[in-house]
Amino acid sequence: MSKIKFTLNNKEVEIEESPTARLLDILRENFGLTGVKEGCGEGECGACAVLINDKVINSCIVPLGTVEGKNIVTIEGFSKTKKHQILRNSFEEEGAVQCGFCTPGMIIASESLLNKNPHPSDEEIKIGLSGNLCRCTGYNMIVKAVKSASKKGDGLW
Amino acid sequence: MKDISKSVRKVDSLIKLSGKAKYVDDIKIEGMLYAKTVRSTKSKANIISITLPELPKGYYVVDYHDVPGKNVVSIVFDDMPIFTEKTVTYYGEPIMLIVGEDKSVVTNLISQIKIEYEELTPLFERTNSAINYNFVKGDSKKAFKEAKKIIKFDYETGYQEQLYIEPQGMIGEINGNKVTITGSVQCPYYVHNAVKVALGADNDEVRIKQSVVGGAFGGKEEFPSLIGCQLAVALRKIKKPIKLVYEREEDMEVTTKRHPSWIHMEAAINDQNEIDGIIANVEIDGGASIGLSAVVLSRALIACTGVYTIDNLEVAGDVFLTNTVPNGAFRGFGAPQMLFAVEMFIHHIAKELNIDPLKLRLKYLAKQGDETSTRGKYRDPIIMNDMIEKAMKISDYKNKLEIYQKDNKYKGIGMSWFLHGCGFTGSGEAEHIKALVKLAKGEDDKVNILIAAVDMGQGVQTTMKKIVSQILEIPLEQIIYNNPDTDLVPDSGPTVASRTIMIVGGLIARAAKQLKEKWVDGEALTVSERYKQPEYIKWDEKTFIGDAYPAYSWGINVVEVEISPITYQVTLKGIWSVYDVGKAIDERIIMGQADGGVLQGVAYGYLEVMKNENGRVKQKTVTDYIIPTTGDIPPMETILMDNPYPLGPYGAKGAGELTLDGGAPAVALAIENAINKTVTKIPVTPEYIMELMKNE
Amino acid sequence: MKNITAKTLLEALNLLNDGNYKVLAGGTDLMVQNRAWSNTLPKFKEDILLISNLKELKYINQEDGYIHIGSLMTLEELKHHELTPKLLVEALEIMASPAIRNMATIGGNIGNASPAGDSLPVLYVLNALVILQSIKSVREIPIEEFILGPGKKELHKDEMIIEIKIPINNFSNFSFKKVGGRKADAISKVSFAGAVKIKNNLIQDFRISFGAVGPTVVRKNDIENKIIGTSVADLKSNIQDILNQYGEFVRPIDDQRSNKDYRKKVAINLLEEFILNL
Repeated sequence: MSKIKFTLNNKEVEIEESPTARLLDILRENFGLTGVKEGCGEGECGACAVLINDKVINSCIVPLGTVEGKNIVTIEGFSKTKKHQILRNSFEEEGAVQCGFCTPGMIIASESLLNKNPHPSDEEIKIGLSGNLCRCTGYNMIVKAVKSASKKGDGLW
Repeated sequence: MKDISKSVRKVDSLIKLSGKAKYVDDIKIEGMLYAKTVRSTKSKANIISITLPELPKGYYVVDYHDVPGKNVVSIVFDDMPIFTEKTVTYYGEPIMLIVGEDKSVVTNLISQIKIEYEELTPLFERTNSAINYNFVKGDSKKAFKEAKKIIKFDYETGYQEQLYIEPQGMIGEINGNKVTITGSVQCPYYVHNAVKVALGADNDEVRIKQSVVGGAFGGKEEFPSLIGCQLAVALRKIKKPIKLVYEREEDMEVTTKRHPSWIHMEAAINDQNEIDGIIANVEIDGGASIGLSAVVLSRALIACTGVYTIDNLEVAGDVFLTNTVPNGAFRGFGAPQMLFAVEMFIHHIAKELNIDPLKLRLKYLAKQGDETSTRGKYRDPIIMNDMIEKAMKISDYKNKLEIYQKDNKYKGIGMSWFLHGCGFTGSGEAEHIKALVKLAKGEDDKVNILIAAVDMGQGVQTTMKKIVSQILEIPLEQIIYNNPDTDLVPDSGPTVASRTIMIVGGLIARAAKQLKEKWVDGEALTVSERYKQPEYIKWDEKTFIGDAYPAYSWGINVVEVEISPITYQVTLKGIWSVYDVGKAIDERIIMGQADGGVLQGVAYGYLEVMKNENGRVKQKTVTDYIIPTTGDIPPMETILMDNPYPLGPYGAKGAGELTLDGGAPAVALAIENAINKTVTKIPVTPEYIMELMKNE
Repeated sequence: MKNITAKTLLEALNLLNDGNYKVLAGGTDLMVQNRAWSNTLPKFKEDILLISNLKELKYINQEDGYIHIGSLMTLEELKHHELTPKLLVEALEIMASPAIRNMATIGGNIGNASPAGDSLPVLYVLNALVILQSIKSVREIPIEEFILGPGKKELHKDEMIIEIKIPINNFSNFSFKKVGGRKADAISKVSFAGAVKIKNNLIQDFRISFGAVGPTVVRKNDIENKIIGTSVADLKSNIQDILNQYGEFVRPIDDQRSNKDYRKKVAINLLEEFILNL
């Protein structure tokens, strides 16, 4: 067990847990942030994606010890932002949400992408989301939603 | 009155976009314990002894001894045990649960369990036929006797894993004698019925609730009944809340998948080069228990002529039992396998006879009034000719086909035509389900839709509300539709078979009209409607004669590919689709279903590989079982046709499964066009393509 | 279990010296390999030393003819850096997914020593050196001597990978090809790296390696040396012989991803394509 300090959704937190505990479990259990999902436990599906220092990362394969001093944002924290408003508006408009299980991860990955590349091409969007699996939508409407958000959110990213 | 098809924002998008939607693993009950399943490590064996470690206080084992009622998961064929009694019949079969508060302790206890097996010889070959169906139409014996030529082909389709991104699971609690189980399910009442049998309980002692479902595709149709029964038995024994959620690898290895199939087709060709008769023989691997396999086989056999009308048929099929994971429902339910074979077959016939496949297909394309494969009737207008023209136009099919045939550049285009019989086969709706729906209007004038239909992403909560909203002329916000709870809703049937909008929506529409007539502001009122089979739909399930379905949806997929002659990998260049689902209750929702369905269908055809070796699933992680990513998708275009079906709400027919049915043959035909070889198996992997290209 | 997060490189080296630890950087391989039921700890059999926060190991610079890459540089960071050799960038671009690239480190990809590791064929062809440090010493070892087999390395228990050193090169043609099950987020069935220097139609340098077709990366210096000094025209006219020579050393296996016939044929096809395109 070690004491680990980090910023979580804009709040400084400190917990005492094993440094090899999965960040996903800490977020869901210790902090009740069930918006971060477990789809595969192998770092493959992206349903567990969170932002660590603004970068999309799969929390199911992150050992807690590595987040010391870092800034973590989950879908719950990101939901409160203007950027999320633009993204969710676009996702709704384009019909990009079906069962919703991949959705928080998709939103996080989209934010990470737009942070680095505010005006991505369709190809760049596809690369940015290539680590997020969706079984329901066929991806089309999701790609369109991100493109639309990048246009509507001009200046935000 | 505005057109109902006009899209609205889905009612559940926001809660999902904010991460607030509660799926089963997000639910916590105070004092809950965790259950983990102990599974067989043999494909076929008798259990001689089980040695358990000493269980600390608060840790329990739950096995067949604890089943108060019948140790069987009551589905269609009641041949799956809840827990193994003496003999395990597949690797991964659930033997018992270990339940306790600390998952690490549970894991540790499980690692100490010693099971002594007497190994028996497992059966992996298709020799044990548990179900045989066969039927005829016309006089195929004559057709084959007088044939100038008989063309034969054998086709093969592999497993397909649903890979819903949310793994299976349920959470339950008990109050007195009443168990309440909440889970990721398509059919709350299937679970309800199964649990009653497992517990020997009355209706009011079992309550099943649906949590938000993270994808299902048929994989959560019958399988959850097994989890529900195990959980119910554990709840009765332990009397504390329990959560049972599968790990992904576990889910992939032991839950039901699409049946692999082996389809033998023969065509009797007369001296005019016409198809006088067809013989079809279908073998599906049911795994270790029948479950729904007989129903899957039924649907496959009925689909034996696809969109074509053939007068003389001899059709037979078997469900083989093997010592492998039991297979079950997956979007399409037998149709994708059969439609792959039919579409390839008609092309292979054309090739052999040196006829233009398009001409041959058009010649036999079904028309309104034609007899179906089971001597039923296509009563409603069929607009396929119009759809074919549109599909070929938007994809530039004819042009590309010709160019790719000649140019040796490993580019190809393929077009599949397909249909889906909407709703349950035959008399299922009338005799087994007898769907009942209710609309409850409160004093606050809010209207509550009381049905057992589950929204698993296909948008049913939105579309049902739209139907009620349109008829009652009230805003969507005035309508309530909560995730079904068997304490609160009647049994309107399972969320399967593309029946939800057509049948249940149809009943809701009638109930809404009833409510409209009786509406008084400020007064509470509940109305109900029960399903009545149209008089003229008659079906004999023993002889397979009559109208198998009340309605059909039709579709066309065109897929363009490019193949690398170096790596044999397939790149999708475009997918064009045209669908007739009668009427879209929400256009964007149907388009979303279309995008998702066709990608699953195409991936079934070229990408998704799951093999069983010595009784074990080989590709059991998300890393090893390959489904498409955003990197794999091509541009996609879909056209929805208007062809209202008189008995569906606003003309709607079934849409959920149609969009998956045609992807595999379309991509397989495109690959054939690209490499100029004959494809008879799916998935058409690069390894298979290399094999085909080697055999010059 | 004693799992420690090191705060400095010195602390890490001392810990490695005094105890028995498995070094964990990004965790994208180790956390997957040792995964367990949710809300239970990963099933590590050894104590874990987490080094991901060691700033001393995050760098990339150019000095005395080499590119020096700190072992904790993530794949995504390297992908975007102007100093990263272009052939390596080609591999990084199609490895895994954005989320994994944000955590996975180049040191980890080498340390995992997977037969299918995608940076490895490139690093072999670039004649990369792995720098290992212990509390007592620092040593350099060519990557092909460092990786001994699947998961096996010439690594002493008190050492860790601190840097990858790549000689600066000016290849006239280079190419990395990855053949996975799908276009993104896939484990390689076969991979190929080729780098050539041609001047006045003469081959001055010729390097080829294959990944995922043997227990370690396949590179044959003796075949390469016979080609160096010959002309491109001669190479192309001798191509069948070259392909046959390589064919002897490409010995893949059957597994859940693919089979040996496919892997071998495709590996040789990739080599053929590379040569014909020169």
